[in-house]
Amino acid sequence: MPPTESDVLRGTLDLLILKVLLRESMHGWAVSQRIQERSRGVLDVNQGSLYPALQRLEHRGLLLSEWRTTDTNRRARYYTLTAAGKKAVVAETNSWRRYVTAIELILETP
Amino acid sequence: MTLRALFLRLRAIVRRSRAEAELGEELQFHIEQETALLQSRGIPPAEARRQALVAFGGLEHTKEQYRDGRGDRWLTDLRSDLVFAFRLLRRNPSLTATVVLTLSVGIGASVAIFSAVNAVVLRPLPVSEPDRLVALWEDNADKGWVRQSSAPANMLDWSERVRAFDGVTAWADYDARPVLSGSGDPQALHGAEVMGNFFDVLRGGMTLGRGFAPDAHWLPAPRQVVVSHRFWQRQFGSDTAIIGRTLVLDRESAEVVGVAGPEFRIPAPDVDVWYPMRWDRADRQQVWFRRAHWLRPVARLRAETNVETASAELQRVMGAMEREYPETNVNMKAGLGPLHDYLVGDRRQPLVFLLASTGLLLLIGCANVANLLLVRAAAREQEVVVRRALGADRSRVVRQALTESMVLAVLGAAGGWLVGLWGTRMFGAWQPVGMLPVTDRRPDGWVFLFVVGVAALSAVVFGTAPALWVARRDAADALRSSTRMSSDNRRARRLVNTLAIGEVALAVTLTIGAGLLLRSYQQLANVDPGFEADGVASAFLAVGGTRYEVRAQRMTFVSDLLTRVRTLPGVESAAISSAIPFVAAGYTSDFSIRGRPADQAGREVRHRSVTDDYFRTMKVPLLAGRVFGPEDTPTSEPVTIINKALADRYFGNEDPIGQYIAGDLVPDSTSIWRRVVGVVGNERGRIVSQPAGIELTGPYSQEAMTGVYLVVRTSGDPANLLRSVARTISEIDPLLAPITLTTMPRMRSEAMARDRFMALLLAAFAAIGALLAVIGVYGVVAQAAQRREPELAIRLALGARPRHLHWLVLRHGLSVAALGAALGAAAAMAGSGVIRTMLFNTSRMDPAVYAVVVLLVLGAAAIASWLPAHRVVRERRGRSLSR
Repeated sequence: MPPTESDVLRGTLDLLILKVLLRESMHGWAVSQRIQERSRGVLDVNQGSLYPALQRLEHRGLLLSEWRTTDTNRRARYYTLTAAGKKAVVAETNSWRRYVTAIELILETP
Repeated sequence: MTLRALFLRLRAIVRRSRAEAELGEELQFHIEQETALLQSRGIPPAEARRQALVAFGGLEHTKEQYRDGRGDRWLTDLRSDLVFAFRLLRRNPSLTATVVLTLSVGIGASVAIFSAVNAVVLRPLPVSEPDRLVALWEDNADKGWVRQSSAPANMLDWSERVRAFDGVTAWADYDARPVLSGSGDPQALHGAEVMGNFFDVLRGGMTLGRGFAPDAHWLPAPRQVVVSHRFWQRQFGSDTAIIGRTLVLDRESAEVVGVAGPEFRIPAPDVDVWYPMRWDRADRQQVWFRRAHWLRPVARLRAETNVETASAELQRVMGAMEREYPETNVNMKAGLGPLHDYLVGDRRQPLVFLLASTGLLLLIGCANVANLLLVRAAAREQEVVVRRALGADRSRVVRQALTESMVLAVLGAAGGWLVGLWGTRMFGAWQPVGMLPVTDRRPDGWVFLFVVGVAALSAVVFGTAPALWVARRDAADALRSSTRMSSDNRRARRLVNTLAIGEVALAVTLTIGAGLLLRSYQQLANVDPGFEADGVASAFLAVGGTRYEVRAQRMTFVSDLLTRVRTLPGVESAAISSAIPFVAAGYTSDFSIRGRPADQAGREVRHRSVTDDYFRTMKVPLLAGRVFGPEDTPTSEPVTIINKALADRYFGNEDPIGQYIAGDLVPDSTSIWRRVVGVVGNERGRIVSQPAGIELTGPYSQEAMTGVYLVVRTSGDPANLLRSVARTISEIDPLLAPITLTTMPRMRSEAMARDRFMALLLAAFAAIGALLAVIGVYGVVAQAAQRREPELAIRLALGARPRHLHWLVLRHGLSVAALGAALGAAAAMAGSGVIRTMLFNTSRMDPAVYAVVVLLVLGAAAIASWLPAHRVVRERRGRSLSR
């Protein structure tokens, strides 16, 4: 079965961004690429909505942004998780798992 | 919102161009990365870029989302609304100018009056804990006393027996005018005689030095003064070495012990010096010390008590005193109230009334502005409809309309502030003496808040109608509006009419109020004061102190003065009196008539003494008997002349001539019986509007009082006489400066100054209000006439007479004005209760005033409506139907 692309579920984009940034700082385009790769192409981040999401997270104090130069010597805005952001990844992940489990339970019930 | 988010947003606002550039760069980078990725898969550059953009999904849309995320969207909107509003206002300068001018006048008038109210009524007294200071007074139903001054012995008892009082002090309730000599020409100051503890109880704070010793009012006290801050600046150039220096007041030296605080002006705003009274401790046991009432006591309440408790205790103490001192205190009650209220006194009502009037004026102005904006909004209907069709939501469009109103309100407030500053100064300069007792009327924070509040309120009042109108537009109106027949348009027209009616109603109310005051003033000016003021000059002299201690010394001075003054050119006659009309002078007492039972004793008769020529000089008619003459000497039989009021009330048909009167309630062996030798006409007292009281006049030779008025009748202008009168006085006694030197017509004018001021000020407000209302009617009629132009043209073409067309247009304006006038007259009738106490001999329903005002307004409205009617008809005449 060919992998079908699917929009990122509303509200989960924040979690995905935080998770991707957990390991290293990266710029916006890289974040979108990483999400696509890790989901094996299933999740296609709406690139347009990525930036407002990054801005939202920064306002909430979960991210920091700074301008750096890339390997190819370009200026780009890099996003880094703050301590609060790291905590948020754990909390959001747990809550997501609970949510999924609950859905599973319902779906498995004949 | 976290602090950090706030910081980011603020930064975005402050550095918005940089934030925009960064956003562009970030998104640009993204697109380039994506393009490069696609190119690496073999897609040609142009196509790669296109796909990258598609994948991104609307660059501008994202940017907008991002900008929304900054949370400063409202600011951007506000900025564009402001820019738009200013552009609109600039494009229509005459409308903008009209609106701003109207608001400036309305707000400015309110500000000027509010500044006065603020300074006089609202600002607390400049003392520590002013709320704890109460004024004390005595009431006596028998004598008709309400809030009268107190007797010193009573006051001393209160201070010892009422435990709620932390301290009681007092000032003398008369205008002391000590003459300062020793430096330049002698000048009469304004003095306040006080008790030693005056500054300790009031706690006003001293600029320099200290107050008096608490017992400084008991003999033998050293003569000391505290000078006012203003006097210190004026007379001594703010010299800090003043403490310890001596002033010569009424020929006696007094040591300066203190300079009062800059704002401390109790009991009166014009006080120059305070000095202690000089009482003998033995006086306390004297009957007169409890019978003579001339003190205004003030008490400071203890912290743990309040006005009610203190009042109750005062009543108890006063009740006990009634029993202890039956000779003096029967039916003598006492009361107390906040000192500030007491000092403000009857100045509050006219000011509050004026403030309410400016409120009406401002309301008329707002209605006018609302009308103008509504008319303009209707003219801009197309624009609103287009904006709605382009996706502006309702709140955006309304916000735009409100922003415009807000801008106008701010401009109006700025103009109003300037007008208010000017008006405050003018008010201070033109005020009748004593209306604004506070010299510091500079606008403070409260005035500023008032302006902001009034402007915001105005914006709501005049901005609501246009905003509501705009809110009702929607895109679908685009079709209907072209037909000019939409129901909303009709509703807008009705709103415009209603506003104009309201404006006329308010203006009529205001004008009727002004009319009533003017009529009252006219009545006041026509009062016959009982003497002929024209041609009389007067000077007030204090013939007291060491040089005139003995009666013979005063007599010599007076006869010398009269002899010399009579030789001045133009002088017809001259006389001396201890009291004259328009001033508060003389003293009152009970009295009895010989041979009458004790219960027929008289109350509250005013005493004065005059020289022989007084009645001739003042042209007061002699009704019976004789006036005084050389036969009345200090040693001859005591005589008196009564006025008509006393003769009517106490003698009726009896002949008073030859009867005997004594100035005591219960005559005893010490009473002096005076034979009535004459009856004269009534002279009005201090307050022109009040009928003359009963009066006993004795010959100066028998009662040589120390405070005397010289009255001089001349065939010419009495003002020309003043200088030579002053010279004559200083020739006799260079240290005796006349305390007042003026003419009787001027005194009369000053006595009515407040009434005149109120009437003229209100008339000015009413004139502005009426003008605005007439402009409002004009606007409504002109607009309607323009709309009806095609219809009128058809009528004209079909043979209607121009006069008939005039009437069609005129009818509209007149119906608006008539409805407004009817409502306004009704409102004036309902609300005229507030003005009643300010009216003299004038009914608050005075039909003449109502009729004149209504007719004037209808006439003005007719002219205002005739103009557009005439214009439309003239333009149309002889032209063919073009529409």
